[in-house]
Amino acid sequence: MDEEILRVEHVEKRFGGVVALDDVSLSIHKGEICCLVGENGSGKSTLIKMISGIYAPDKGDIFINGNNYKKLTPIESIHEGIQVIYQDFSLFPNLTIAENVAINEQLAEGARLIDWKKIYKTAASGLARINISLPLDAVVSTLSTAERQLIAIVKALLADARIIVMDEPTTALTQKEVNSLFKLIFDLKSQGISTLFVSHKLDEVSAISDRTIIFRNGQKVIDQNAKELDVKKMEFYMTGHEIDDRAIQFTKVEENALPLLQVENLNLAHGFFDISFALKPGEVLGITGLLGSGRTELALALFGELPIDSGKIFIDVKEVFIKNIVDAVHAGIGFVPEDRVREGLFLDHSIANNIVVGIIDHLKDRFHFVDDKQKTKVGEEWIKRLEVKTPSGELPVKNLSGGNQQKVVLAKWLASDPKILILNSPTVGVDVGSKAEIHELIRNLAKQGLGILMISDDIPELTNTCHRVLLMRNGRIIDEYTQENISVKKLNSELVKSTGLDDASLGRKEK
Amino acid sequence: MAVNTRLPKPRISLFSKLKSSKFSSQTWLLLIVSIGLFLFFALKDPRFVAAPSLKSMGFQLPEIGILSLAMLLPTIVGGIDLSVNSISNLAAVLSGFFLVKLLPPDLLAANPVLYIVLALGLALVVGAVCGLFNGLIVGLIDVPPILATLATYTLFTGIATGITGGKTVTGFPDQVGSIGAGTLWGIPIPFIIFIVLTVLVYFLLYRTTYGFKVRMLGSNPTAAKFSGLKNNSILLTLYMISGILSSIAGILVMSRTMSAAYEYGTTTYVLLAILITVLADIVPGFGSVFNIFISVLILQILSTGFHMILAGMQGSSFFKDFFWGILMIFIFILNFFLHRKETQN
Amino acid sequence: MIQKLLRTNEFVVFLILVALCIVIGFINPAFFSISTLFDTLRGATVYYILAFALLPVIIAGGVDMSFVAIAAVSTYATHMFLISIGFEGGIWIYFAISCVIGGLMGLLNGFLVTRFKLPIFSVSLATFTMWYGFALFFIGSTMNFNLPNGAVGYYENYLITVADPQVGKTGLNSSILIVILAGVFIWWFLKYTTIGRGVFAIGGNREVAVRSGYNVKGILLTIFLIMGVLSAAGGVLYGLLNRFFGPTVLQGNALDVIAAVILGGASINGGKGSVIGTLLGVTLIQVINRALILCGIPAEWQKLVVGLILVVFISLPALRARKANKMGHTTAMMELE
Repeated sequence: MDEEILRVEHVEKRFGGVVALDDVSLSIHKGEICCLVGENGSGKSTLIKMISGIYAPDKGDIFINGNNYKKLTPIESIHEGIQVIYQDFSLFPNLTIAENVAINEQLAEGARLIDWKKIYKTAASGLARINISLPLDAVVSTLSTAERQLIAIVKALLADARIIVMDEPTTALTQKEVNSLFKLIFDLKSQGISTLFVSHKLDEVSAISDRTIIFRNGQKVIDQNAKELDVKKMEFYMTGHEIDDRAIQFTKVEENALPLLQVENLNLAHGFFDISFALKPGEVLGITGLLGSGRTELALALFGELPIDSGKIFIDVKEVFIKNIVDAVHAGIGFVPEDRVREGLFLDHSIANNIVVGIIDHLKDRFHFVDDKQKTKVGEEWIKRLEVKTPSGELPVKNLSGGNQQKVVLAKWLASDPKILILNSPTVGVDVGSKAEIHELIRNLAKQGLGILMISDDIPELTNTCHRVLLMRNGRIIDEYTQENISVKKLNSELVKSTGLDDASLGRKEK
Repeated sequence: MAVNTRLPKPRISLFSKLKSSKFSSQTWLLLIVSIGLFLFFALKDPRFVAAPSLKSMGFQLPEIGILSLAMLLPTIVGGIDLSVNSISNLAAVLSGFFLVKLLPPDLLAANPVLYIVLALGLALVVGAVCGLFNGLIVGLIDVPPILATLATYTLFTGIATGITGGKTVTGFPDQVGSIGAGTLWGIPIPFIIFIVLTVLVYFLLYRTTYGFKVRMLGSNPTAAKFSGLKNNSILLTLYMISGILSSIAGILVMSRTMSAAYEYGTTTYVLLAILITVLADIVPGFGSVFNIFISVLILQILSTGFHMILAGMQGSSFFKDFFWGILMIFIFILNFFLHRKETQN
Repeated sequence: MIQKLLRTNEFVVFLILVALCIVIGFINPAFFSISTLFDTLRGATVYYILAFALLPVIIAGGVDMSFVAIAAVSTYATHMFLISIGFEGGIWIYFAISCVIGGLMGLLNGFLVTRFKLPIFSVSLATFTMWYGFALFFIGSTMNFNLPNGAVGYYENYLITVADPQVGKTGLNSSILIVILAGVFIWWFLKYTTIGRGVFAIGGNREVAVRSGYNVKGILLTIFLIMGVLSAAGGVLYGLLNRFFGPTVLQGNALDVIAAVILGGASINGGKGSVIGTLLGVTLIQVINRALILCGIPAEWQKLVVGLILVVFISLPALRARKANKMGHTTAMMELE
């Protein structure tokens, strides 16, 4: 049972002067579900690239199925059964399921001509292995993210995978789909196929992991049975120190203040129904719920990207009509998106440009031209204020780390002095250090009188920053928590309740 | 709060310093090429640098030059405009038509300058309207620019063809030629116009807040929308300005040739304009107006230079096309190696 | 079943074509004659072949303009060479020499694109300019009407001859066989060869294609070779059917061919396209052109009509896509239990 499939021994990898992996040794056994946890920059992706043959270790050995590889190539790694499922699932959106699934086999065989019958047969047997039924001639672009992920897994299985590496696989899945995925992973486990599950969602790690491996600063710090670790311990090992919840000071929200934002009976078809709440100045209001609960739609609606069908919105007691983003910005609303690369940043432009893009019309000199000096100054002010780590504001923003990039997006909105800030999962893909900084920032902003809506499914984030948290399910607000009655455990269990992430419904068997 | 560790200062190579400064590496490359070619032709034939030769260059290049400026704008916002030349022709045709066919001849003869100015104004309006039309299809309906402008190029040329009945419009009053053939202090007026427009476009793109928004939009339209920029309005205005620039080119052609043809230049001119933007290394969100200027100069130097030293040889005016194509390939390849060196640093 | 068919671009274009023909037929019944059919086909022959030449490149995600230059120059060079040695033979030598030259020219594009990672469009612009300039300067700048004896009658080499009210006789030119051959070849290439499927893969997601192990360089070189060979064949046919060879032929037609391929359902971004669709796209444009003549629209207004039709045609799918996009945002919610 405990046959060893992969073993890396004392591997080291440097890039220039930076040590990415420092004397790392670990092994993965047959039928094991290992979770790889660590902050950005901890060495997780370097390790994955190493075992898939993209990087060669500077020192150390890699053993796969007993074979020692000094310089592993991608082809060899694939032959040995290591299959990595990337973010884009390595699928061709314009081709059918059948073709996508069978491509590897075709290419491996080196055939010049296509045998369509064979392709369909291969594809059918592949889908059968994980017991799903999708039309083989469906074009992949018409599939949902979850379905594409399943196809990617089928591809991996057909390539005789012994270890399937999944990198943050649940990012775009609804809770139901996450459950299905977990069931599948357990199924694979019973077939003797191991999974290396890379994730930052510690609650999911707890749910699925047999053995949890924690990386920090290129070193492996923990490698033990998942049952011996809880979320707090994992966080500790990930960051090297405890995140002290109790030290957080929450400013009181002025009881009698007029609401900054008030919404009444908001409705959006296929989005949310009958939403009403109020946001007071200086308050951080969290909105949470599973993917599909309507929380994202609500955020986008308030920002004008998905205008509401009916209902009223009041800002500073005056009714406003938000039909598009320009309206929302005009009303004093800012929005920090979840996908900062696509929706928040102009990667090739300088940090300064990114920061001033919303207020450029106010940076004119007396000739009505852009005042470059002002622009630079404003940029540097915000870099300093938010502690963005960069030697210069003129460097392109793409060079920054995820956390610093998110700070730039934040700076962009703060520079325009909004009344209300909507944050949509603001610390996804941000290292724990920057995460804490951003949370502190949010609390400070609230102190200054800003009203903040925090959309997130990261429970500790919510408890650390929000005065109140609204829970949404199926498009409606079903519960409200305040600082008094809020707790990580409670929120967690409420979310988990209808999700079926508990052991029994996942069909997990005791070892 | 966590303590921040100081980042080491990155080695900013000479290359990237050049890139981020106003004069990118491509600019240096183009300058060297242009100066090199100029010297080559000057040495080969001293008449090249004589006043008549320089003057003639100054008369010819502004047409393609201004069209290239018109092409620059959609390119920097991530698109392309295949209709620039057809807008130019249509503007000239409608303006010429107004002047020669619609106006009663005695009215025109009585006050030619006034009506010529009106006609020119009409040309600009035509350019603006055509540009607006482009902007609507690309911005509001969201059609890929290459397809949209392919369709409008056909449409605009079609209107010009229909109105002229396939014939060239001629019979302009003499004053019309004063712009296209006149000089100011010895410098051809079209060239002065070209320089002025180049400077104006530079100011528009790099000194106004509007231009800033254009460059940000070009870099990431989604982020621009989510940052509160009015994407559609920016695009519409941009294509409109591009249309006006095209119409100015049309005015110059009309003035120089004293005629307005529905198909002057055809696809060749559009191709050249695109080639110039490619040579000038214009990419979505980033592009140097100065590079465009130099690229146009290079094209003209080649054209006049080869015409001069190959004069007498059959088909001498075609050699420049051949050379131009090879030069482009050469510069592409050079760019490839330079870029590779930079990423290795 | 009909629903599924309707969703394919090709079927929609087919319906439009049929509808168009019916409308034209009403306006001018002379349209419904065999001679019209044959004449239309002959007029479209060169464009069919050029479109087939271009199709794989478009599917791979590139836009190339130089195929017309390859067509014109390879043919012109071949012709001028042949008459300079007093060749009086038949057309097959034309094809043989021209296609070799064309293939090499295509490979040049492919080489530049793969070796120096240059954008297909930019390279094509440069080679377009270069080849036309080359022909004009080094070969000749005039049209040549001197066809060798063996080629002179080709333009009226009919498989089926019919009477024509205006010209006396007309017919189905035997060049249609070359069109069919080219079409079948491209269809087979795209559907039944690994390289052909690789073209779709590259057009779908270039990075994933590389990652999956496709020989992207080899595939690109292949489709440029095909583009060169078929373009050259198209150029030869142009010369034979029009009975003259010139250094600047087809120069203004690149965009028309691209438009036809796109109208036929290929995506400008790559990853989609078919031989049938391309056939329909070219046919549609040809029919429109002919329709304008038959419906009595004066020559000078024809381009305008085509322009209007194009504007409408390209706007419709875009409008449809916009509607779908708006829905897409909220479909995540459809998964409510």
